[in-house]
Amino acid sequence: MDFDFSVITDHLSFLGAGIAVTLLLSVLSGVTSLAAGLVVALLRLYGPRWLKPLVILYIDSMRAIPVLVVLVWTFFALPMIAGVTMSPFVAALIGLTVHLAAYAAEIVRAGVESVRPGQSRAALALGMSQTQIVRRIIMPQAIVRMLPAFGSLLSITIKDTAIASVIAVLELMRQSETLAGQSFQPIEVFSFAMLVYFLILFPVTRGVDMFYRRVAHLGRS
Amino acid sequence: MTFDWSVVWQHRDALIAATGTTILLTLATMAIAVPCGIVVAALRLYAWAPVRAIATAYVELFRNLPLILVVYWAFYVLPIMTGLGLSPLATGLAALVLNVTAYNAETFRAGINSIRRGQVEAAMALGMSRMQALRRVVLPQALRRILPVLASTWVSLFKDTSLVSVIAVSELAYVAMQIRAQTFRVLEMLTAMAAIYWLLGYPQAKLVDWMQRRFAVTE
Repeated sequence: MDFDFSVITDHLSFLGAGIAVTLLLSVLSGVTSLAAGLVVALLRLYGPRWLKPLVILYIDSMRAIPVLVVLVWTFFALPMIAGVTMSPFVAALIGLTVHLAAYAAEIVRAGVESVRPGQSRAALALGMSQTQIVRRIIMPQAIVRMLPAFGSLLSITIKDTAIASVIAVLELMRQSETLAGQSFQPIEVFSFAMLVYFLILFPVTRGVDMFYRRVAHLGRS
Repeated sequence: MTFDWSVVWQHRDALIAATGTTILLTLATMAIAVPCGIVVAALRLYAWAPVRAIATAYVELFRNLPLILVVYWAFYVLPIMTGLGLSPLATGLAALVLNVTAYNAETFRAGINSIRRGQVEAAMALGMSRMQALRRVVLPQALRRILPVLASTWVSLFKDTSLVSVIAVSELAYVAMQIRAQTFRVLEMLTAMAAIYWLLGYPQAKLVDWMQRRFAVTE
């Protein structure tokens, strides 16, 4: 079997554009799902009582439906109801955020609930308000404890961006697939894509682990 | 805009068959990936150092690759490398097994490592062999911690089977999107697809929650 990796070097800018979109989509959906997840978790924990069953339904539904289905539905079906047209990138960003925010919310909730209730009671006894307790007592400890879980969520986010290729977002997976089809050299192209994804993902998971080990003491109480 | 939901009912047979394929794919993958995961975990824990390094490299590689890429890779590269003409279903199964085995191996390894060394040492001091200590002392405790993780891997796997639709395996996502393309009933078919996944996945997600509470370990 002969390998000819010149197909990679010849189309480096084509694949590079895909890598850029993968990174951009990963960072953007990472940030938005984190923010949305925080809001959802706070609503579940401290929101009005009537809202809680809805929030729980949302979270568990997202745990039950595949990302592919969410993305395809957001891109093809949502515009028919909402009457707006979306670029694949925007649809992917919305779909990924809606899906991943549920996971982020569960991580935030687990982190908040891991702080012993005695601490909130002590803070109440000192005259703090609920908002003050969340901001000053619970969150500083909970955020550190959430770090490892957020690290794996970030790696899931990067992996899930590859599924956006299905709705024609021109990220690395999609570009590799196109190039593999046009050049008839799938082994070279997909091996390159594997290498790139591994080189992005492995340092992310390792980096978060190492960072957590350095700050873990801040989360102990 | 008018919607015609009867299209879903008209294609019920195809959808039911496709749902069957999705469930079958999940079952078959797990049935293969659990024993394979145990073997890989054992290799990582107890094997000769070079073998251990290969097992570690395998686990780290597949845990750090998007599954959809593995599916494409299996589809294009496996036939060239092995010279076999695999059906899309077999190819999809192979890709899922490669992925889930890596996760299961890590689950088993973490479960076994979570039992303190002192317990094995105590068992060996009582005259048990290493094998006996593993089987009688470590595994019964490790299993309690492994089961909930396996259950959540199961739910992820159930959802991830949708990804093999990209290589035309006629499971639920692929069939629903085919019907969508034939009938142009986009919203109806995609919503039906999401609803079927939801109906099947929701109880599973709840079951995982229950198992996690039931088998919770407090130290």
